[in-house]
Amino acid sequence: VVMSQPDSILAAELRAARLSASPELRARVLELAARPSEPRGPRLPRLRLRRALLVLAPAAVAVVLVVAVAGGLLDSSSPRGQAQQAQPLRAADAGALHAKAAASVAQGAAGIAPTRSRAQDYEAEMRLRVRDLSATTKRALALTRSFGGYVRSVDYGSGAQSGAAELVVRIPIGSVQAAILRYSALGTILDQHVAIRDVQPGIDARFRRLQALRAQIAKLQRRLAAAGLTSDERKALEAALARTRAQLVAVRRAQQQAERRTSFASVSLSLTSRKPVPAVSHPGRVDRALHHARTILVKELIVLLYVAVVGVPILALALLLAGGERFRRRRSTERLLASR
Amino acid sequence: VQQSFASAVEEHLDDVHAYLVYLTGDRAAAEDLTADTFEKACRLWHRYDARRASAKTWLCHIARTTALDHFRAEARRRRREQVYELRERVDVDEGSFGEGLSPTIEAALATLSAGEREVIALRVLLDLDAESAARLLEISVTACTTRLHRALKKLEEGVRGHVAA
Repeated sequence: VVMSQPDSILAAELRAARLSASPELRARVLELAARPSEPRGPRLPRLRLRRALLVLAPAAVAVVLVVAVAGGLLDSSSPRGQAQQAQPLRAADAGALHAKAAASVAQGAAGIAPTRSRAQDYEAEMRLRVRDLSATTKRALALTRSFGGYVRSVDYGSGAQSGAAELVVRIPIGSVQAAILRYSALGTILDQHVAIRDVQPGIDARFRRLQALRAQIAKLQRRLAAAGLTSDERKALEAALARTRAQLVAVRRAQQQAERRTSFASVSLSLTSRKPVPAVSHPGRVDRALHHARTILVKELIVLLYVAVVGVPILALALLLAGGERFRRRRSTERLLASR
Repeated sequence: VQQSFASAVEEHLDDVHAYLVYLTGDRAAAEDLTADTFEKACRLWHRYDARRASAKTWLCHIARTTALDHFRAEARRRRREQVYELRERVDVDEGSFGEGLSPTIEAALATLSAGEREVIALRVLLDLDAESAARLLEISVTACTTRLHRALKKLEEGVRGHVAA
């Protein structure tokens, strides 16, 4: 302690006159020290804040990374993950098919044959890559006619060898399978879709309705033929008969339209001469794992960010309160010591 | 090397007692508080870490906490009893701060506040270094040095005043 001369004299006097504990107090305290100590549990290492942060921060980062990598590996090996990965590649895969393979695909699609015994709405969509757009379009139109079908719409620039053409043709339902096979041979199949909708219940319902209307008409005619009808009754029966006949005509027309519609299949052909998008190779398991790990990591970071956004102000407030309380306590201690 | 509690008692009992005498200005209270301090220290001895502080500093820290609790309890008791005194001075017995201390120094010490006597006890009597004392008092080293300087100056002025009177 650096002191001036009078200070050091004072200090020396204070030190020289320092009180010692009384023998009674000494005995009392030594008695405490002599007591057998209570058995203590295992002493846990005390971590100071900085040291704890030094350990916890890398541990938290390690946990986040392990969760991401483990999640990525698990997802990449699960069938769901593979299915999800494979889905966007389907079109590209189709584009990479050779003509032979495409034919087998077409055969598979054409294999979904319409059921002859039931009325069905049959719609097929095909996307083909062709070499000569003009010639192929003409060939498709000729094929349609040869199957007894007709063209509903054509969108095609005549004479152009490259570009795209859209054809919607109607093919008799009995020939649609063969027609699809022939169309698929015109080029490389890029995409194919067949939709079949059963409309037999509607036709059956209309048939029953027709029968009921016919029975009703016959009944009305019998009543009109009976004797003893008043003029008003006759007029009412004739009006009812006319209404029922009109209904019969309308239902019959609807039935004929439905039967005509189901006797032809609708085939949409999209022809293109453009090169397809190069096929994307299937990513390996490691790539999938990395992709999933990255996704999980991003999600974890979002969660951490959210926690930080919510938690930091709370933590700051808590620290501020703790600091304020500490300051208040220190001031209180200072005042207490100053007042004594 | 971690020393035993018994050896810490032997070595630092007088220091803790002297510190509490200066802090309280009351020998009887200091004796009781010293006993309380060592009782607490005995219970907490397994927590003591020699790498973080010396046994003397650690014991003084417990002594300070014990004394402050005592002061606060006394203040509460006074409030409860509704004794409105401007300042309740502790009766300082003859020779309460030291054996054979001159009456002028005794009187001058009695005029100092507990906080001022405390820093003198820690830095002069117990010879704690500035850093340990500052940590104990929960203030900066500069504030501790300033407080000591002011306390000693006030003590010196008090001694001069008494001599002149």
